[in-house]
Amino acid sequence: MSNDKIFEPFIGLNKLGEMWDQQLNGLLYNLADNKEFVRTASSGLNTYSMYLERLRKSQELFASLMNIPTKKDVAEAAKLSIQTEEKIDLLEEQIWKLQDSISSITKENLGMFEEVVNIVLQMKDEFQKMAQSVAETQKINAGLQELRKEIERGLFEIRREKQKKEPEKKQDKELVLTGNIK
Amino acid sequence: MNALGTNLFQGLNLEKEMKRWNQLYKIMTEPRPEIVPTPRQIVWKKNKATLWYHPAKEKRHAIPVFLVYSLLNKAYILDIGKGSSVVGGLTERGYDVYLLDWGSPGLEDSAITLENYIIDYLENALKRALRHSDAKEISLAGYCLGGTIAAILASITDLPIKNLSLAAVPIDFSIGIFPNNLLEGLQTGQLNLDRFADAHGTIPSEVMYLIFRMVSPGFASSTINLVTRAHDEKYVEKWRRMDKWTKDSVSFAGAAFKQLFNDLYQENKLLKGELVIGGRKVDLKKINCPLFVFSCSRDTIILEKQSLPLMDLVSSKDKTYEVYEGGHVSLALTGVFAEVWDNWLSARS
Repeated sequence: MSNDKIFEPFIGLNKLGEMWDQQLNGLLYNLADNKEFVRTASSGLNTYSMYLERLRKSQELFASLMNIPTKKDVAEAAKLSIQTEEKIDLLEEQIWKLQDSISSITKENLGMFEEVVNIVLQMKDEFQKMAQSVAETQKINAGLQELRKEIERGLFEIRREKQKKEPEKKQDKELVLTGNIK
Repeated sequence: MNALGTNLFQGLNLEKEMKRWNQLYKIMTEPRPEIVPTPRQIVWKKNKATLWYHPAKEKRHAIPVFLVYSLLNKAYILDIGKGSSVVGGLTERGYDVYLLDWGSPGLEDSAITLENYIIDYLENALKRALRHSDAKEISLAGYCLGGTIAAILASITDLPIKNLSLAAVPIDFSIGIFPNNLLEGLQTGQLNLDRFADAHGTIPSEVMYLIFRMVSPGFASSTINLVTRAHDEKYVEKWRRMDKWTKDSVSFAGAAFKQLFNDLYQENKLLKGELVIGGRKVDLKKINCPLFVFSCSRDTIILEKQSLPLMDLVSSKDKTYEVYEGGHVSLALTGVFAEVWDNWLSARS
């Protein structure tokens, strides 16, 4: 049975590692958890910051004497490009607003055009109806004209016959007056 | 080989040991792994920040999601590789994802304040994501300090935030992982970091890494964990990605650093409702959208107590608080965040 046992040295090592980490974290936590540490850390940070400031100042001074650009100069140049980028963003937003207003105007225009098309279609229908009624009126007019001509022709005939009968009546009248009736 | 191993070391699996030491040799000699992101495209760039768009594999939700990570680390922890990517998990679940990567500030960015980050960067990025997606609303999620920033924005913006989700988020800065005397020193101003921040302008990433190491100095267990499980290729792959991310720290703008310590750690203005961002008072009561907050049980960086007060401060009626098993970044590193979030979000998107 003992031969089948798998030897896993790392499992124990793993547990040891975890314990070591816990112990170390605990120790450092306790070391940091006192006012003296905070005071030391504060003065340490201030000293570090002071030396960093001085180093930066001297670096700037030497760089200006040597007339070579520092990281600060590069940063200033980079700021310009960032500002340009911001302006482009603002322009893009303005373009959005324009696009939005154009699309809303287009929508309004589309509605208006639809109304115009409807009116035009209605007018077309009306015109067709009017054209039909005009054609009918023209037909009636033509019929009336023909009727008028017929009536005029009839009247003319009547007048002519009347005129023919007029002299005969005159002769008869004269004969009656003169007494020359045979 | 086994026979030879059995003869030499009773019970020692030599094949496994060969694999273990081969993998360890590889880690020591090979360059750090390359992180392959989920398919993405740039929507907007501002200074060092980038807004990424990761389209859904098969869109199932109308409302896109917007992820904000902490200013103190790189955002690629949320997209750390296939199989364990939060972004990948969300795109697979049918969400369009927007991720704001803050980038690493340079000396020229030393004057950037939290106000700039929140209004000029985050609010603008959110506007752009809304316009890009053509959606009427958006779900916002923040991790760690990104969660604090997302909560601040949600309480001052007029933008249509449909859902807010915050993971491992510090809201109460009066308590923390620092020793009591150190915290008291910070709060009383005995330990003032203004001069330190001004001297640096922008605090370099190396210094930020040191600060992180001081917060959690023990690192033996991580290395021993690796040695113990080095025969497991998947574990080694994840460990290498995590190791790369941990050491790949970012620099921090001096003005934002000062504001973080003075307004949040020293005066706890966010909790007190005294924080003013861009002329607008930050009142967490103004958050009335559905809210999901979760903490991690073994988080040694952000304590559960720091997140909990938010639940009482907001006026949201639909609010959920959960605690998950894991460390500060384990939900992001394993991609579980996508699953956890989807469970809550899918019905609200």
